[in-house]
Amino acid sequence: MTDVRPVALDVERHELGNGLRVVLHRDRSLPLVALNVWYHVGSRNESPGRTGFAHLFEHLLFQGSEHVGTNDHFRYVQQAGGTANGSTWYDRTTYHAVLPAHQLDLALWLESDRMGFFLPSITQEKLDNQREVVLNERRQRVENQPYGLAFERLHELLYAPGHPYRWPVIGYPDDLEAAGLDDVRAFFRRFYVPDNAVLTLAGDFGDDVTERIERYFGDVPAGAGAEPEPEPPPPRAGERRDALPDRVELARVYVAFQMPPFGTREWYAADLLATVLADGKSSLLYEDLVYHRQLAQDVGCFVLPTEIAATFAVTATAAAGGDPLELEEALCEHLAAVAASPPAARHLERARQRLLTVHFHQLQTLERRADLLSHFTTFFDAPERVGEEVRTYQELAADDLAALVAAHCPPDRRTVLTVVPERGEDGAAPAEPVAATGEEPA
Amino acid sequence: MSPVDRARPPLAGEVRDVRFPAFERARLANGLELYLARWPALPLVNLQLLMPAGARLDPPGAAGLASLHGGLLDEGTDRRTALDVASFIERLGGYLGTGADWDVAYLGATVLTAHLEAALELFADLARSSCFRAAEVDRARRHRLAEILRRKGQPAALADRFFSRVVYAGTVYAEPLIGTEESVRKLGRGDFESFFRRHASPSGGALLAVGDVDPATLARRAGEVFGDWQGAAAEPPAPVAPPPLDGLEIHVVDRPGSAQTQLQLGHLGIARNHPDQPEALLANVVLGGNFTSRLNLNLREKHGVTYGAHSQFVYRRESGPLVIRLAVATEAAAKAVREIVAEMRRLHEELVTAKELRETQDFLVGAFPTTLQTVSDLARRLETLAVFGMPDDYYQSFPALLRGLTAEGVRAAARRYLHPDGMAVVAVGPAAELRRQLEPVGPVTVHTP
Repeated sequence: MTDVRPVALDVERHELGNGLRVVLHRDRSLPLVALNVWYHVGSRNESPGRTGFAHLFEHLLFQGSEHVGTNDHFRYVQQAGGTANGSTWYDRTTYHAVLPAHQLDLALWLESDRMGFFLPSITQEKLDNQREVVLNERRQRVENQPYGLAFERLHELLYAPGHPYRWPVIGYPDDLEAAGLDDVRAFFRRFYVPDNAVLTLAGDFGDDVTERIERYFGDVPAGAGAEPEPEPPPPRAGERRDALPDRVELARVYVAFQMPPFGTREWYAADLLATVLADGKSSLLYEDLVYHRQLAQDVGCFVLPTEIAATFAVTATAAAGGDPLELEEALCEHLAAVAASPPAARHLERARQRLLTVHFHQLQTLERRADLLSHFTTFFDAPERVGEEVRTYQELAADDLAALVAAHCPPDRRTVLTVVPERGEDGAAPAEPVAATGEEPA
Repeated sequence: MSPVDRARPPLAGEVRDVRFPAFERARLANGLELYLARWPALPLVNLQLLMPAGARLDPPGAAGLASLHGGLLDEGTDRRTALDVASFIERLGGYLGTGADWDVAYLGATVLTAHLEAALELFADLARSSCFRAAEVDRARRHRLAEILRRKGQPAALADRFFSRVVYAGTVYAEPLIGTEESVRKLGRGDFESFFRRHASPSGGALLAVGDVDPATLARRAGEVFGDWQGAAAEPPAPVAPPPLDGLEIHVVDRPGSAQTQLQLGHLGIARNHPDQPEALLANVVLGGNFTSRLNLNLREKHGVTYGAHSQFVYRRESGPLVIRLAVATEAAAKAVREIVAEMRRLHEELVTAKELRETQDFLVGAFPTTLQTVSDLARRLETLAVFGMPDDYYQSFPALLRGLTAEGVRAAARRYLHPDGMAVVAVGPAAELRRQLEPVGPVTVHTP
């Protein structure tokens, strides 16, 4: 292992009287400031029949507030030389911007105005317009994308009825149609309150920054307190499988399991395992399935950084004409092999080095640092844990990976989804194997 | 502090200037240009080696040669197998990418600074002695053929494919960079070996390094590692000069049952190093270059028919395109095309307002430092200088250049570089419906992918 130490970020943590948690990370190497607000609400706080609402709501929060005109949020940020965006996921909704340092107050004004003064600005017209935008977003990113519906289907199979990760963040079209202004108001009052949010600033700001934050956010009233969430159902027993016909030329296989949530030692083991299995051309799956056996066009493995459970999946896209069943067997064999005998030291060492590079790589931008700090504060109230991840990867041993697979990836608990090429209207068969032609001997 | 006045946006504080970081320039005797910048925030370095082996050199009928050649540059050398290359760089935690665009072939990697020496040594080996073993060529070709097949399922890739055919008919850009099923099947290892010998040269190439490094030391090391690398003199590729389009050429690519219609519109653009480029850039930002651009406000925020509409000048050494992309609700396809044409015409007719001009300048100047945070951000800027032969002080003078633009200059650029009356319009979606909608807009040709 190269002797490179993880970065200890300089972090201060405060809390306002209304419960807003504030994280400050000073770095003056460029005159920039990145700011984000994480609201601890996501699609998991929706209910069946009203899915997609958290994300639709995020769109509405860019439609102005009492003192900010309809399209003015982006306009103000852009003319200040900044960029801004939002993102909604299972557990959280985030609003982030990066601006020249001298425009910090503008960002504080915009974020505090929509935290404190959003409701008077909302209209049916804005809701209808953004609903159309979101329906088009769903068509663009999900319905009209090859493999676009796979992830949605995978979660429907992987999570038991009643589990809040079962439905897609972007929601089902009929549910989006059902959302009304009363839903908007109730959602805002319940979740968009300072005591359900984290504000992080990273970059170049002065010593009076806490006073400035207090000035803008201090008078936003606290919420009524979080309502307890029901305990989610446990991982499903028994194998589940489905084949999803799609307009694709190459089949794809997903083999998925439920893992313990982000932040646990098992989660980090799963992430390390994903790197061992599928990150890079010398990873186990790439070497075997893409390089040697040429069953796959590409391979992948990931674990989602979510809060109450985590999806872990191994995936592979079949080579032209490849048999998805053969590919599935190969993926499962690799998992079984990890459980039976821990990966070789060189694979583990390579994965640790990759994750170390990734660690530094992602700390390069202020936006990403602010994002990580808010993530760890929202989930664990512990921003300092950002710097501890690298150590965790270093401490994990090959045996931990074997134990993880043995405990959480038994064959009788797997979810298998295959995306298969749909036959065209003319009945044309899917892709034939690509023959090697025109090659002279070595 | 005084209580906050929420009624208007707060005043900005004191501006701190950002300077584009200084970088070292040198040129080795074999022609390799060096661009080396110290960026010590984290123990990382980004390394790029560019060679004049871009896809503009693809011979007729051999589309995909340069791009597949670029992709094969990490698949083995005289002393390393493909697996050796992968495990060498990945053991160090590095990410290696190789490939080619229209202008250059590239090797690129980000590694911990502690591994810089090893990465340099690897790059030198790949650039000098890649050897295209038959088994690797065979596998890479099969992989590429499957990739070509896969893109047939992607609406945006399909739209781009037909767009290039129309805008660049009769030129090397008419065929896809990654090749076609027909052209790639014919490529053999002899093609790659001879392409490598002729074009993977230091002359006309550049080495870029950004990160926690000392430029002077690195310049010396680059001389030691790459100094005796000899290659053929760079060959100037044939010019790409298709005739401009006359009228709207509408091409519908049939994809029955599509949930949405993918649109791509545009025409020939402007060269990156043309003196009018800043005015054209600003005109494009007003048209479709950011969230509050006219196209996005019109089609997304006013009409709700798309998740987003964007336009950009795509730069190549010669004759890159202007591209407008969006996915729209199918029933609104013709409406979207009409609105786009109208927004382009408006830029010909009316001057941008003083407010719009200032806001766009503020955005471009102010947001510039946010794109200078990472070693790869900076390397990309240096690459622009290297590939397009821009002056070394271009980015230092960029803010002042933008501040000097006028509404009249922007309109003149819009008139010269935006052509609402000579465009390719490609629509991927259900053909019957699209033909019905689009025929009143202009002549429609229907294709099956």
